[in-house]
Amino acid sequence: MSVEVLRLEGIRKSFGSVKALKSASMTLREGEVVALLGDNGAGKSTLIKAISGVHPADGGAIYVRGEKATIRSARDAIELGIETIHQDTSLAPDLSIARNLFLGREPVKLPFLGVFAPIDFPLLRQAASTLLKRVGISKKLDADAAVNTLSGGERQSIAISRAMQFAAKVIILDEPTNNLGVEETHGVLRFVKEMRAAGHTVLFITHNIHHVFQVADRIIVMRRGEVVAEQTVGDTDLLSVEALIMGVDAATLAEQAKVH
Amino acid sequence: MATVTERLEERRNWWQGLSASPQVTSLIILAVVLAGFSIANPNFLSPLNISNMMAFLPELGIMALAMTLLLTAGEFDLSVGAVFALGPVIVMLLAQQAGIDIGFALLVGLAVCIAIGAVNGVIVTKIGISSFLVTLSMLLIVRGTALYVTQGFPLKSWNEPGIFVSLLAGSFQLGPFKLYVSLYWFIGLTLIAAYILNWSKLGNWISAIGSNRNAAIARGVPADAVKIGLFIAASVLSGLAGMISAFRISAASPVAGTGYELEVIAMVVVGGTALTGGYGTILGTVVGAFMLRAIRNGIVLIGVPGLAFNIFVGALILVMLVLHAMLSKRGARR
Repeated sequence: MSVEVLRLEGIRKSFGSVKALKSASMTLREGEVVALLGDNGAGKSTLIKAISGVHPADGGAIYVRGEKATIRSARDAIELGIETIHQDTSLAPDLSIARNLFLGREPVKLPFLGVFAPIDFPLLRQAASTLLKRVGISKKLDADAAVNTLSGGERQSIAISRAMQFAAKVIILDEPTNNLGVEETHGVLRFVKEMRAAGHTVLFITHNIHHVFQVADRIIVMRRGEVVAEQTVGDTDLLSVEALIMGVDAATLAEQAKVH
Repeated sequence: MATVTERLEERRNWWQGLSASPQVTSLIILAVVLAGFSIANPNFLSPLNISNMMAFLPELGIMALAMTLLLTAGEFDLSVGAVFALGPVIVMLLAQQAGIDIGFALLVGLAVCIAIGAVNGVIVTKIGISSFLVTLSMLLIVRGTALYVTQGFPLKSWNEPGIFVSLLAGSFQLGPFKLYVSLYWFIGLTLIAAYILNWSKLGNWISAIGSNRNAAIARGVPADAVKIGLFIAASVLSGLAGMISAFRISAASPVAGTGYELEVIAMVVVGGTALTGGYGTILGTVVGAFMLRAIRNGIVLIGVPGLAFNIFVGALILVMLVLHAMLSKRGARR
């Protein structure tokens, strides 16, 4: 069994009186693709936001490589090596590809000037095109082009390559194939496999169970704010997973499918 | 044959790229406006008239610079015109009636501006009320304060020369033109604002926040702090512009700068900065500031009746915005 990268223990989060996360626990290991499944309102997005620091958790513990970590902000998460690609909201559409790739950690000259330091544009462009080349999308894309000139799939590729570039330990994809065409979806799934090959751990949130069987090693199912099942992809099938998500018996589900 | 079409294609793309850039569009429109007025009345380009325009331009221009950064980050500030009045009113009150040293009075005035901007910024970001409503309320509070503390009367003129007066409102002769040092302030602040927006790390953050705030936050950009800072900058620069203006005309009036908030926003938007955030241009704002001042001045010179004045200003702004939208749409659809 490979090294543990991220462990969550009893993560809790409430919004007012709504307990979005009751107690979520899971362990992610090096170089695996884990699919996080669950119906709407199961707490998947809340969990992701807690790990990525967007909405910090109310309680519970997070361990990164066995060490206890505190994640209070997006910066904390990024510094711990956890990169998140949020649904539709990862890029600033008016900014160039290069500026997006390095947003929040721009290479600068005269760093003592703090936020007023000048961006090192030659380095920025060079690093951007090297990166685009490495992930195999150099041919069409100009690092100076604004992101709003790109297709949805290209945007996801940019966001994913940004996560890969900083050698993140854990890359979280929040419904990365939403609103994408068939070809673009395959591109994203190919990326997921490449990320695993490069040694990243991927946590993949999706509603599309077919995608899970194409790329994931393990499946974690959430229901009503809790993790209710963990399975290895080879040991399960589509129907059982759907039953787990809905919280019904697989046999019942099969029975219902026959009736309709 | 292929190369010829390719080259033609390249040239067309180059031209489309250029005309799609809002600054260039504004620059062309500015040239047309200037040419039109100078043909209609040759006095438009007389040294006296140019000096006149150059006295007003920096004051509104300085406010427009800060407004550009704020709009780029996706917020705007309606209280700037009122701050333009309150800043100098506080300074003059302290200096004249409390007998406080003018330098210290200026510091207090700027501190009040910082406080106003900070309150705007904190309420907008931390409580999450739209900047339109927050700064509209602040406009009333600030303007009301200026009126109340002065009892509605302009303060006595301040005619004691001194280092601060020369620094803010000194004048000098350049050839046939009488210019004010406020022009240097405007040029200096323009360079700083352009540097920040286009070349600095902060500028990248400002554009990113306006373009997609959640994405910026997810990358660890301190969006709230940046916005609060920009609200403070907008207030401070408005106060500074008010002080420059008050020293230039040797009087601080509680009703100075009425309506400036919209004039300044018009300058910024006419220059090509997106009202919805994400894209800003300092060069465009400078062009926009020139354009609005030239229109206000030129309309009087060509003899439009005083009461019809605003009709023309409004119509011209509208025409420019429409032209902008049409040109940039044509440029964007390739």
